[in-house]
Amino acid sequence: MTDARKRQSEKLSEADAIERAKQGDAEAFQILYELHRRRVYSLCLRMTSNTAAAEDLTQEAFLQLFRKIGTFRGESAFSTWLHRMAVNVVLMQLRKKNLPVVPLDETAEFEDDVPKKELGGPDTRLTGSIDRLELQRSIDSLPPGYRTIFVLHDVEGYEHNEIAELVGCSVGNSKSQLHKARLKLRELLKTSRAEKAI
Amino acid sequence: MTCVEFERFLPEIIEQENLTDKQAHLKECSSCSTLVSDLRVISHEARLLQESDEPNPRVWNRIEIALRQEGLIRDAHTESTRQLESPSRWRLAWLVPAMAALLLSIGFLKHQRDSNTAQSPSVQPNEPATVAAVSDDSPRFKDEELLQEVSLRSPAMRNSYGTDLENVNAYIRDAETAARSNPNDEAAQRYVINAYEQKAMLYEMALDRPLQ
Repeated sequence: MTDARKRQSEKLSEADAIERAKQGDAEAFQILYELHRRRVYSLCLRMTSNTAAAEDLTQEAFLQLFRKIGTFRGESAFSTWLHRMAVNVVLMQLRKKNLPVVPLDETAEFEDDVPKKELGGPDTRLTGSIDRLELQRSIDSLPPGYRTIFVLHDVEGYEHNEIAELVGCSVGNSKSQLHKARLKLRELLKTSRAEKAI
Repeated sequence: MTCVEFERFLPEIIEQENLTDKQAHLKECSSCSTLVSDLRVISHEARLLQESDEPNPRVWNRIEIALRQEGLIRDAHTESTRQLESPSRWRLAWLVPAMAALLLSIGFLKHQRDSNTAQSPSVQPNEPATVAAVSDDSPRFKDEELLQEVSLRSPAMRNSYGTDLENVNAYIRDAETAARSNPNDEAAQRYVINAYEQKAMLYEMALDRPLQ
């Protein structure tokens, strides 16, 4: 058996780790953390744009998970269960801080923030791929309501009906806010490039 | 179809590749075509951020402490495993405080050396021999020793700690490069110390874990 295969066979599967974590096995808890820490932390960081807050929320999400792991019966994927829990932890925190979680209606105050496209006019293209850091900074600059919808849909891959349920808005509102968030991001990225070019 | 009419369908157009009745407008309008292309790029690139960031090792440390305090990690299990600890654990137990002190000293001395260099570039401070001796080979050797210890006690975690060590070593290298290129930047100096603190914490976590 090759070293790689040996290591693979030695590694606990996620299902085994879940069962052992239910028995209070320390190593199983750590394996589950190692498997999912990057995604949960990235979600928290994208939604809050704050490293310290993201660390606290990651800790809280995993603690909630481990407290409830005994109730996990495997009806849904473990990762789906965990990420849903992490999203709820973040949204609760945003609500506590009175930051807009539920996107405002289409006619509401952020309307002025959305860049207006000059229809039929010349437009410059965001050529090539976008630098990751550039995109992260632009997401951080989005108003919190837009950011929530954009992160949940475009980064995390939630569908509009799931987002509507999570944040408590209509499907139409989620779609509309996502579109505005993307337009705003495009504007921010173009501004950032223009500033770099000077 | 006009651009105004086209824009009403934009959200659906971004989600779906083929909306044949809208394609005609896209072909003849470069402005709308550019807009659609940009929004698709943004949406696509965003997915790559899903697992882009690594939490600080202290997050797990805090979770583990909370789990123990809440009794979610079974005490009985911990007690029984303590009795099974291999002698090599005790043989290497000195590594935790020693490595932590060593790494912090290196970070601190580097910080001081860089500060001194920034203040008086012509002065060449006498670097302690220990720093020169440990800054290259010793930490690498200790890393290997640590990983061997982790494999003995918990083979499943070896790869994970190997990756963590690689990440923290890369962080140290980046922080040192940044500090060297910006000797007057206090934030860069702090990153160096922070990087070494993270490595010390990783050692602490690796050697403080209960055995199976």
